[in-house]
Amino acid sequence: MMCPHMEAKLNEHVDGAQAAPDRASLEAHLSGCAGCRAAIAELRSLSASAASLPRSIEPGRDLWPAIADRIRPRATWNVQWIKWRRALAAAAVFVVAFGIYRLVPPSAAHYRPVGQGWVAVQADVDRATEELSRIFVAERDRLRPETFALLERNLAVIDAAVAESRAALAGDPANAELHRLFSAAARQKVELLRWAARAAAS
Amino acid sequence: MRRMRGCLALALALLARQATAQTRTDERWPLDSGGSVRIMNPFGRVRVLGWDADSLAVSARLERRAGRFFAAGDVHVRKLGVDTAAGGAGADLEVHVPRGATVWVKAATANIDVEGVDGTLDLSSEGGSIRVLGTPQDVTAETMNGSVELAGGTARARVKTVSGDILLRGASQDLGATTLSGRIVVRAAGWQRGGTAVQRGKFESVTGDIRFDGEVGRGGVVELESQSGTIEVRVPASTVADFDLLTIGGRITNELADAQPKQRATGGQELRFSSGPAGSGAQITARSFKGPILLGPK
Repeated sequence: MMCPHMEAKLNEHVDGAQAAPDRASLEAHLSGCAGCRAAIAELRSLSASAASLPRSIEPGRDLWPAIADRIRPRATWNVQWIKWRRALAAAAVFVVAFGIYRLVPPSAAHYRPVGQGWVAVQADVDRATEELSRIFVAERDRLRPETFALLERNLAVIDAAVAESRAALAGDPANAELHRLFSAAARQKVELLRWAARAAAS
Repeated sequence: MRRMRGCLALALALLARQATAQTRTDERWPLDSGGSVRIMNPFGRVRVLGWDADSLAVSARLERRAGRFFAAGDVHVRKLGVDTAAGGAGADLEVHVPRGATVWVKAATANIDVEGVDGTLDLSSEGGSIRVLGTPQDVTAETMNGSVELAGGTARARVKTVSGDILLRGASQDLGATTLSGRIVVRAAGWQRGGTAVQRGKFESVTGDIRFDGEVGRGGVVELESQSGTIEVRVPASTVADFDLLTIGGRITNELADAQPKQRATGGQELRFSSGPAGSGAQITARSFKGPILLGPK
């Protein structure tokens, strides 16, 4: 886990947007901090993965018929379908996690200017979490019933929290604290869905 | 007839014995003092104990349908556990590891207990509880609906649950806990022991209550955040800190100092004050969407 106060600096470093003196001080920090080194590696990998993703993901509906035609004769179509769904889940998690990672302000900065990108990112988050939720429901057979019930219950809790924050934001869109709370709730939802995917995979 | 009844009783007794029979395995291998151990046991219990020996010893008790015990590895890394199908019975593993070992445990519903290990711990259970006693260097613990308890002290701990309660007590330097609907309780006795390292705590929930009860080191940073749970912070009255509390829809109660919360123009309440020269002490931040925030003396 990276040092929380380093989040913004690590992002700038990965983006190549850091001033030379800051870079030197960050590199000194990195030499002694395995957590931040790991975070840098993860960020670079995320950036690379996100860059290679298409601008929009159209899962399943268009591609699936062709894939189904090609694999229908095979006895292992079920495995292929599971792999496909997992790949979709991974891609969606990447998109959501990356979006939210960029959204959540560093803990030290309570106020962050709100740009137009916020609405677009919210929509992206909605689309991706919706897709993840569909996959979660589709994978329910791979989870123990009590685990599925627990996750479903807690997803409802977090959906209510996200909806409350969203409604409050609609009435006060410039409120930085609300943005922060919304981001935190959205991040929790992604974490929960990621947890569900991991549990289904194991 | 009497003989037949006797045979039947014997057969039934044998069947019952077989049905409840356990397999026991005891093994021991050499392992570096800083070696790695990976343990997998879906159901039952895993108990890991640190000891002052460069070896790893396991004592496994498997119920009849618990599956098969396996182990592989060398003097640096060893992997062991129980290979079982879904719905299998429980197995109890007691594993002794060198005190400085790195230990990774994964379970489905098995409870995980770790005691006396000073190395790095990575513990994960879907539904079981996790309990760590001792002074590990680094702890990561995740469980969905089991509880987590860390007692003793860690340099760094990250705990995550969905609905399980989290209890962190002892002298730790860097603590992070996240839960959705569980409760977080931190009893940070001797929080700033030594006082030289970074002291940091970050505690987040969605609906769960968060209670921080303890000392914050000079320069320490504690952040608490909840959507609708109650946030309660209790620190010694002599604490020198900058307090920054805000709730959008809840109420703030300050029993620690005279400063009283203000209504925000955009709704909700906020309270910001310093108990000492600003910026000279710790920093305590609490954020809530609609839950109450209580600040009081320990």
